Amino acid sequence: MQIQKSIEIRDLALYLKPDNVLIIADLHLGFEEALNKQGILVPRFQFRDLVKRLEKVLDRKYKLIIVNGDIKHEFGKISEQEWQETLKILDLLSKHAEKVILVKGNHDTILGPIARKKGVEIAESVIVGNNLIMHGHELAKNIPKDIKTIIIAHEHPAISLKEPGRIERFKCFLKGKYKTKNLIVMPSYNPLVEGSDILQEKMLSPYLKQNLDNFEVFVVEDKVYSFGKLKKIRKIT
Amino acid sequence: MLNYKNKPNTAEQINKILHPVVKKWFYSKFKEFSLPQLYGVMEIHSRNNILVSAPTGSTKTLTSFLSILNELIDSSEKGILEDKIYCVYISPLKALSNDISVNLIEPLKEMEEIAGRKFGIRVAVRTGDTTAAEKSKMLKKPPHIFITTPETLGIILSTIKFKDHLKNVDWCIVDEIHALAENKRGVHLSLSLERLNTLSAHMARVGLSATVAPLDEIAKFLVGYENGKIRDCKIVDVQFLKQMDLKVISPIPDLINTTYEEMHMAMYELMNKLIQQHKTTLIFTNTRSATERVVDHLKERFPENYSENAEKSEISGTLSKARGIGAHHGSLSKSFRHRIENRLREGKLKVIVSSTSLELGIDIGYIDLVILLGSPKSVARGLQRIGRSGHQLHDTTKGRIIVLDRDDLVENAVLLKNAIEKKIDNVHIPTNCLDVLAQQIFGIAISNKIHIDDLLRLIKQSYCYHRLERKDFMDIIDYLSGKFISLEDRYIYAKIWHDEETGMIGRKGRLARVLYMTNIGTIPDESYVTVKVGEQIIGKIDEGFLEKLKRGNVFVLGGEKYEFQFSRGMVAQVKSSVQRPPTIPSWYSEMLPLSFDLAMDIGRFRRLMEEKLSKAHKKEEVLDFINHYVYVDTNAANAIYNFMKEQCDYAEIPHDKKIIIENYNDGGTKYVIFHTLFGRRVNDCLSRAIAYVISRLQHINVEIGITDNGFYLSSAKNIQAEKALKMLKVDKLDMLLSMAIEKSEVLKRRFRHCAARALMILRNYKGKIRRVGRQQVSSMILMNAVKRIDPNFSILKEARREVLEDLMDIKNTKYIIEQIQQKKIKVKKITTNVPTPFAFNLVLQGYTDMLRMDNKIEFLRKMHEMVTAKIALKK
Repeated sequence: MQIQKSIEIRDLALYLKPDNVLIIADLHLGFEEALNKQGILVPRFQFRDLVKRLEKVLDRKYKLIIVNGDIKHEFGKISEQEWQETLKILDLLSKHAEKVILVKGNHDTILGPIARKKGVEIAESVIVGNNLIMHGHELAKNIPKDIKTIIIAHEHPAISLKEPGRIERFKCFLKGKYKTKNLIVMPSYNPLVEGSDILQEKMLSPYLKQNLDNFEVFVVEDKVYSFGKLKKIRKIT
Repeated sequence: MLNYKNKPNTAEQINKILHPVVKKWFYSKFKEFSLPQLYGVMEIHSRNNILVSAPTGSTKTLTSFLSILNELIDSSEKGILEDKIYCVYISPLKALSNDISVNLIEPLKEMEEIAGRKFGIRVAVRTGDTTAAEKSKMLKKPPHIFITTPETLGIILSTIKFKDHLKNVDWCIVDEIHALAENKRGVHLSLSLERLNTLSAHMARVGLSATVAPLDEIAKFLVGYENGKIRDCKIVDVQFLKQMDLKVISPIPDLINTTYEEMHMAMYELMNKLIQQHKTTLIFTNTRSATERVVDHLKERFPENYSENAEKSEISGTLSKARGIGAHHGSLSKSFRHRIENRLREGKLKVIVSSTSLELGIDIGYIDLVILLGSPKSVARGLQRIGRSGHQLHDTTKGRIIVLDRDDLVENAVLLKNAIEKKIDNVHIPTNCLDVLAQQIFGIAISNKIHIDDLLRLIKQSYCYHRLERKDFMDIIDYLSGKFISLEDRYIYAKIWHDEETGMIGRKGRLARVLYMTNIGTIPDESYVTVKVGEQIIGKIDEGFLEKLKRGNVFVLGGEKYEFQFSRGMVAQVKSSVQRPPTIPSWYSEMLPLSFDLAMDIGRFRRLMEEKLSKAHKKEEVLDFINHYVYVDTNAANAIYNFMKEQCDYAEIPHDKKIIIENYNDGGTKYVIFHTLFGRRVNDCLSRAIAYVISRLQHINVEIGITDNGFYLSSAKNIQAEKALKMLKVDKLDMLLSMAIEKSEVLKRRFRHCAARALMILRNYKGKIRRVGRQQVSSMILMNAVKRIDPNFSILKEARREVLEDLMDIKNTKYIIEQIQQKKIKVKKITTNVPTPFAFNLVLQGYTDMLRMDNKIEFLRKMHEMVTAKIALKK
């Protein structure tokens, strides 16, 4: 589904059609290990699931794949196995693109060694056409005039839909405005991350510290469902 | 074998076994032995297992300590007192010190004074608050009487060094056993008792219980099984020892044609009158918010009679002029509650208002009247509350239940009848709880290696696990030894090792012990926020409530008003001395469910009423019957008559053998009201099952509203309710309800609790304590993950069991469905455009979030007028 002219939602990723560029975000590799270290003994499925889900969009060769921040959940003490998994994901991405760029997220404190090893590029932000792609945990210092759309992640947007005796949370894309620019917020690609409920929770990104009533919601499940404006959803739930 | 002791021992028999010092002390304090003493002292002396059930204040605790002190003093005098624990005393109450002081320390001191020397008998309390220094003192010189809580007992049973002191225990006393048996704390304890039993095989078990039923099951819970047979236990039933003066009263003669204001005024006038007629009154409300409200209103309406800080108490004549008033509930800080309790004991309080926190044991001093505001929902609980008055053994207990609507009136009238006729509702004792089992097996494995067959034998000795399936047991062993995880990751999850060849299990990992000690327990973390004025802690409110608070909002806590300032982390800062009216907190759902047995008895009363009314008896005859059957006054009898008559004239009366399905249409929304008076726990099951069938059948979603008296389903479309009810089958109900709750909030929450108990979520790990909010988020991830391993993963299975068996009541739901299928319960369908009188409260339930209390009564009156008009038209 098109979220905006020449930008398509492909599962949890965005596809910039004219430039043949794929954007994925917030993989948070090693999330389970981090939970384990905190005493939550969740068994590990993440890597297997993530690869499976990525394969849905890795059905062609892209010119460029951008990971829009937080490829890993945390650095610091990480096990051999976690290293291997991260490298495997980078290999997988490289296989399907001429080039891979890692946009720095707030969790990506030491990307250097990984990037060097795999020859991928690291950037604070990337400009493709008139789109500015950045993680979104802080505001861009200056936005070039010809940029029309800012694509951020970081927020892990999701929406909780209720009916009596039942409540379900769905990942979603958000589309709205930031000042004069279009703003698109991407969900997390990590299968374990349920996302923050945009109806309930406080927004984290400085781009989203504003009234979100006119933001449009696109829920991703088996396909993409356009839910319309947030204020409308608020009224019915 | 269980054995009721029907004849008490004689005073002479007991005198004979008492040491002269003990005897002298006893008669210096009391004129004669109480019934629990006449029944109990000899048995405890003879080291027999015994369950003593008697009302509060009937000297149960002293009974047990009397026998044991007698033994210890005798040994001391003979110079054969050993350095070992003779008696383990377990109480569910954390604030034990007062009770122990009254029933043990003081008597011991006085006996030493009489003897003119010290006996060298050591008593020690060990709870979660005990310091390391105190612990090490206990380790060096074990106390003769060891006082503890179920949780701490679980810990010390896994403490290698201290365990040695538990190798020759003579008695284990379980106090307030009725309060433990009905939840997972008790399940946990039942296994700890078996663990203790393996160390001290000859230990006698003494259970002390307030009014409870069935006593046989509580006795079995206390003693457990040996070689497949229940261990011997004597049962002493002196539950109805005290004289009772009980009444149901209504503040006004007509409960329906009254405005909210009038009702409200009359209720407080009545309460004030009752309080002023007595020396000290204890009021039970069912919720913490109501507790606050009552304190607030009493102070406001009668400032000359009640004041929070009235410290002076002048004595004039027999009645004290104390004016003190105080609130007491679980959200108040420990020190605040302590202050209130002390003022109560010192006679400085005229009235104390409590939610449920004063139901249990602690000695609360002189109370001569208990008022219940709203139904206690079970006979046992009603008796327990009312029993807090007349604390002296031979005093009469005096209780007044104030009712505010007609459903409440009927419910309490029958409750009172059962109380007077000694018919107590049965408690539900949870069984086969896999989360608690995991915790205990872990506890056993870290203290010693054990063969799994021996382990299973040990576990099956507990009443709560007597019917445990070997498969469920093995699933827990697999879970604990990490077998559910692929080999390379197993080291992270395995808490114990299990050698399949030898069948042995044991401790794994250096952290195991710390992990166990810091995460043990069965009471789930609730998300409470501490309320502070500056640095002073006032109390706690739940997280949900905090979210609703905005800066400047005024709320009531501990009977005082506070203005909310801001919150940081888990602390809410407030300002005191506020003049503006409060926004009363809406607390965490605290509604007590109506007991099934009582519900059925109310149904029976309705049925008898229908018979009387339909046979066209004269009004006087029917009133006579009501008066006779439920012991109420004329006002109340009239109100019951009118209520039933209206329902009967307008439609018909649903009862224990007739369910009425009322289709009611308010113009837009269609309601289907099920008149199923089976209590909320059964109605929760029934309504969810039916709603689930409808969602499958018609592909529509329905809204559910549940009360004790029934439930309603509503939808914009027509609902095929009757068909759905007919499709419920007993043998499919487990599966159906499991599916119905699969996506529910309640299952998610209960899974978090179970995962924490099974140590899958460590609340306390490497020195860090995890907030509940975080726990909940991670538990969702965990739940999804274990589902993928096995949809019936043991801990998930336990969460479902807990929801369906403990929180709801699937067992009795099956019974009801069976009765429907066998046509023993009839199902009738009616259609109305104004709901029947019995449906008022049910329909209102759906509006409660939107309507304020006064509007609610307005609505009720309007409905009532419409019904009476319709009845008039029919005639």
